Amino acid sequence: MMNTITLIARKEGGELLNSGRGLAWLLALSVIMSVLSLLLVSNTELSLLDNAQVVYMVMGTVTALGALLAVVLGSDAVAGERERGSLMPLLLAPVTPSQIVFGKMGGQVAGWFVMYLLSLPYVWAVGSSGQNLAQAVAYLALFGTPVVLGFGFLGIALSASLRSVRSALFTSLITLMLLASPLLLGPSLRQSSIGKLFDAVNPFSAAVNTFDSVVIDSQPLSMQMSRLAITLFWLVLTAVFAIRSVRKMEI
Amino acid sequence: MLVEIHKLKLNLGSHAVLHDVNLTLQKGQIYGLLGPNGAGKSTTISVIAGLRVPTGGSVRVLGLDPAADALHLHSRIGVLAEQAGFYDWMSTDDYLMWFASLYQRNLDKTGVTSLLGRVGLEGQSPAPIGTYSRGMRQRLGLARALINQPELLILDEPTNGLDPRGRREIHDVLLDLSANHGVGILLCTHLLDDVDRLCTRIGIIAQGSTLLEGSIADLLSAKRTSVRYRLRVEATETAQSLPADISLLARTGDWWHVEISSAVEPADAWRKILDAGIRINEIHREGGGLEELYMAVTEAKEAA
Repeated sequence: MMNTITLIARKEGGELLNSGRGLAWLLALSVIMSVLSLLLVSNTELSLLDNAQVVYMVMGTVTALGALLAVVLGSDAVAGERERGSLMPLLLAPVTPSQIVFGKMGGQVAGWFVMYLLSLPYVWAVGSSGQNLAQAVAYLALFGTPVVLGFGFLGIALSASLRSVRSALFTSLITLMLLASPLLLGPSLRQSSIGKLFDAVNPFSAAVNTFDSVVIDSQPLSMQMSRLAITLFWLVLTAVFAIRSVRKMEI
Repeated sequence: MLVEIHKLKLNLGSHAVLHDVNLTLQKGQIYGLLGPNGAGKSTTISVIAGLRVPTGGSVRVLGLDPAADALHLHSRIGVLAEQAGFYDWMSTDDYLMWFASLYQRNLDKTGVTSLLGRVGLEGQSPAPIGTYSRGMRQRLGLARALINQPELLILDEPTNGLDPRGRREIHDVLLDLSANHGVGILLCTHLLDDVDRLCTRIGIIAQGSTLLEGSIADLLSAKRTSVRYRLRVEATETAQSLPADISLLARTGDWWHVEISSAVEPADAWRKILDAGIRINEIHREGGGLEELYMAVTEAKEAA
């Protein structure tokens, strides 16, 4: 007999990947990545961008899109089920809050895994003639995964505590935009004292700065440990927040 | 005793939702939990199911503390909540098999067919649940509640959206479960007809307090509630000779609407009417004493 987390995860994964919603998401991802890759490749051909710089930008975009998928799924995970009336039967089954949270997270892991696989040809397409391609693929998994899944846990936590998909999605998206702002901020703003402080505690910055250090500056993993710690701390913190929120949830 | 609730209190924030709820339900019994909208019925159910922690009083369900032993309790009870939600993209078979595995039960195709047959959903095409009508969803909800062969079944408005035949079938299932399998059933409903047909014991709650609790027969007798009947008599009959404890409320053609005091047994009342020379061709009970009892108790609470 399968364990409860796997059962819920299989249901969640099936719902995401077999549904029209999942196919639409993958199609949208493919279109975005194709357009972005075309733009970046044409820039490298004109020598406007360094090849490693392009790979770095694709990695950041994939992480941001993964986080976006995670907050959308996370925000619907509890509040959506409540609104559709399917949460109560789950809470009345012999299932613990932790099993619900990790089961639902299992579905998001499946979604992120498919997204990661889908992004690999694009990373290869824009970076095959440059440096550190293998590192890019490995670091996208190593640093992107905790950041993306952390946003999933955050979505679940807000979904349980705010009791409304709309409110949870709005709050999650604001948080995502705030934390992903390093992708949009120019280097001068990020060199300010506030920018540096923000970078030091922000898991999204930690991942993006690692991509920069590894792919562009060819630094080793040993120099990224503090950033890895930040992303893992973010993952654990949001997981605890999600479990506590589901446990304290009002029916 | 399957459920024992004594002086249950529950505060949500600073608002006291339940003040003094009392309930006892034994094995094989069908208990009707009645009350107006917002009385606290669904909240009481959520406490019984371990989804809310009471602020005061004592609650024991199957000998367990629902708040502390929720997981263990959930494996032994079945609940049909008022809003029966499903994963609409799944087929009935897949959904029931998946749900059974949450209880670590291996439900095969034969088991699913048997379960669906029990609630009148046999022979349905393997269409997604999203295509089901409200009545079919209600039946499926009952099948889901029975998936773990529960010792206690908690049903919130189980016959909502069902046609008369469907209601009758669900009644038969519930009567079979209680009489032949010893399942205790807590029935939360607005339909007094359901309670009248199924329950032997009721509790009426309003504004978070139990106003009345006990066996229907005892309560009706104690409250001395009159019962209404519709009689079809010969068109030529007059009501002048009706016995004193039987009053005529209205007359439509050869149908008489009469009220019989609870002090008189119905059989004695019919004998008195016959003795008075009035020939009765047909007798129908209307609403009955339960409705009168419910109205009297809840109106008194509102007036207070």
